Amino acid sequence: MKKFLIIYLLLGLSVVVCQNKQLLYNWEVTPQTLLLNPGSLVTSQFHAGVPLASGFHFNVGSSGVSVFDVFADDGVAINTKITTTISRLTSRDFFTVNQQLDVLTFGWLSKGFEPMYFSGGIYQELDAIAYFPKDFAILAWEGNRDYIGKAYDFNDISARLDLLTVYHFGVNKQVSKKLTAGVRLKLYSSLISVSSTRNKGAFKTTVREGSANIYEHTVTDLDVEVNTSGFISLDGLEQSQVSKKLLGRALLGGNLGLGIDAGITYQFDNELSLTASVLDLGAIFHTKDTERYRAKGDYTLEGIALVFPELVNGEPAIPYYDNLEDDIAREIPVDTLNTGYTQLRPTKINAGLHYDFGRFVGDNGGCNCKNNGTKKKRVSQAGVQYYSIFRPRGLQLAGTLYYTRRFGNTLSIKTTYTIDSYSAKNIGAGMFLNIAGVNLFLAADNLLQMSNLAKANSVSLQVGLNYILN
Amino acid sequence: MEIKIYKLFFLLTYILLCGSCFEGTDFDQANDVVVTPEIELDLIYFNLEASKFYDYANNTEILVVQDTTDLDFLGGSDINDILKRADFFFEFTNSISREFNVSFDFLNEQNTSKYFMQTTVASGSEDTPVVSYFVQSLDEVQIKELTKAKKVLVTVTIPSSSQDLTGVLNLQSKTTYYLQIEQ
Repeated sequence: MKKFLIIYLLLGLSVVVCQNKQLLYNWEVTPQTLLLNPGSLVTSQFHAGVPLASGFHFNVGSSGVSVFDVFADDGVAINTKITTTISRLTSRDFFTVNQQLDVLTFGWLSKGFEPMYFSGGIYQELDAIAYFPKDFAILAWEGNRDYIGKAYDFNDISARLDLLTVYHFGVNKQVSKKLTAGVRLKLYSSLISVSSTRNKGAFKTTVREGSANIYEHTVTDLDVEVNTSGFISLDGLEQSQVSKKLLGRALLGGNLGLGIDAGITYQFDNELSLTASVLDLGAIFHTKDTERYRAKGDYTLEGIALVFPELVNGEPAIPYYDNLEDDIAREIPVDTLNTGYTQLRPTKINAGLHYDFGRFVGDNGGCNCKNNGTKKKRVSQAGVQYYSIFRPRGLQLAGTLYYTRRFGNTLSIKTTYTIDSYSAKNIGAGMFLNIAGVNLFLAADNLLQMSNLAKANSVSLQVGLNYILN
Repeated sequence: MEIKIYKLFFLLTYILLCGSCFEGTDFDQANDVVVTPEIELDLIYFNLEASKFYDYANNTEILVVQDTTDLDFLGGSDINDILKRADFFFEFTNSISREFNVSFDFLNEQNTSKYFMQTTVASGSEDTPVVSYFVQSLDEVQIKELTKAKKVLVTVTIPSSSQDLTGVLNLQSKTTYYLQIEQ
């Protein structure tokens, strides 16, 4: 119980709307921007990522608490701080971890009658979200003694973890002078998945006039489900065997799924453009190596009723306790199933309105005469971005204001100010360096908290190394 | 110009990666975390009719009635390690015109008594049932013995009985378990 609480509080304590890559969205064209919007405006002829180094993203966060809230060296007893934290958090607060590693990435312009830019690759992703199970945290931390009559809601328990590899291939085409569109097909191979997101029912201890005993402990309308895939075959294996098995799953040997990304860029004029994308519209079909647990039913416990039977010699006593256990197992059976299940991917939506201004990159004066119809970059771009992701408890939203400044064709810096339901002071910055086609980018969030990450609710970092031929 | 830009890039990268740290925190505090839930659970209950104390077939008094139940959750090293205190609360409602002696003997698997408690229940009447309370708090030393038990033997003793005796002896009970979980 304690381990559970500590892991919960520690893991979550530092990161927010995970997976929001507001710094990379619509930035300089890297393979990563194409992954965020397959309909990005592409100006390059070819790109290739350095294997395993072309893109790395890490984000960890919690919506309502920071490491500092619990582990501050302030003389206050840690138990007091945990109690305060539990009472402050709500069941809508969440902890997230998201990590992505590009294994392989490439793209090329297919010149022909209908020029199109093709891109593809493989990336590995770890994504986990756990909502704060407030009611059960109170029950575990304080017990039910001071909460007689309170309903502990099983709906509070909602968590999901996925480890997968994604094989993707997309096409990007400038449909007209103003419109660029793209789609990307994705094949998911799930290594490990565990989720428990649609639970209901409540546990309650009540005092009721006329009840048989002092309390009634009731479980009503319980329907709790935990779905796992990829775990049972790992049970009892040596570490090396586990690694081998996971590698096999990464190479399309896991539970497979299909998804699609789609996006557009609409260029109103030389200055104003609109972008939008939907990502991971798809599902994974868990058909093998699954184990699912489901508990369903109602039960009222009033203790053990003694009846003082008149036993004749040798007659066994009534097995009250065994009967009680049997009753509970009958009324709330826990089924273990090995049937398949389908799990939707957390779909994301990005959108942005972008305004380019200032002189053209490379121009020294104010002459715009070279921009005869082709998209030529200006030194500055500012805009607004929208991001949302479908999570087990609905949409999580974020809005971003940003400014991008280009210094020649060598360096580009993007700064962002992001606001969401949980943080109104997230300032991020990214740097994009281009040396003879070799591109290096680094981007990080929550710079205001960078001097002391302990106080941050969210931390994210993205780095990558690619070769892009323009 | 380009050299300066590279320098700027790497300087900013260095600041970003190395300038960040955890300050003003003490993670050793995790060792001080103590989880102390207090859990209330029903225990046993019964409704003993006065007729239970008379053998109508042989016209003889029955002065002692007993019943027993396993309490599996009490035994085991897990609960032994974390249970620091337990308060037993018994509420008797007696509408039988006799005083009772009620005992609770916690036995291990070999039926050896590990903890014993008893109380007296005041007599009442069917018109005016009398409520008696009995509370027993067990400290850590007593808990160590209690958690060696696997079952409880409940013995209800009546000083005298008759075939005309009427009423019911009702018991309701609960236990408050004080747990302490630490590293």
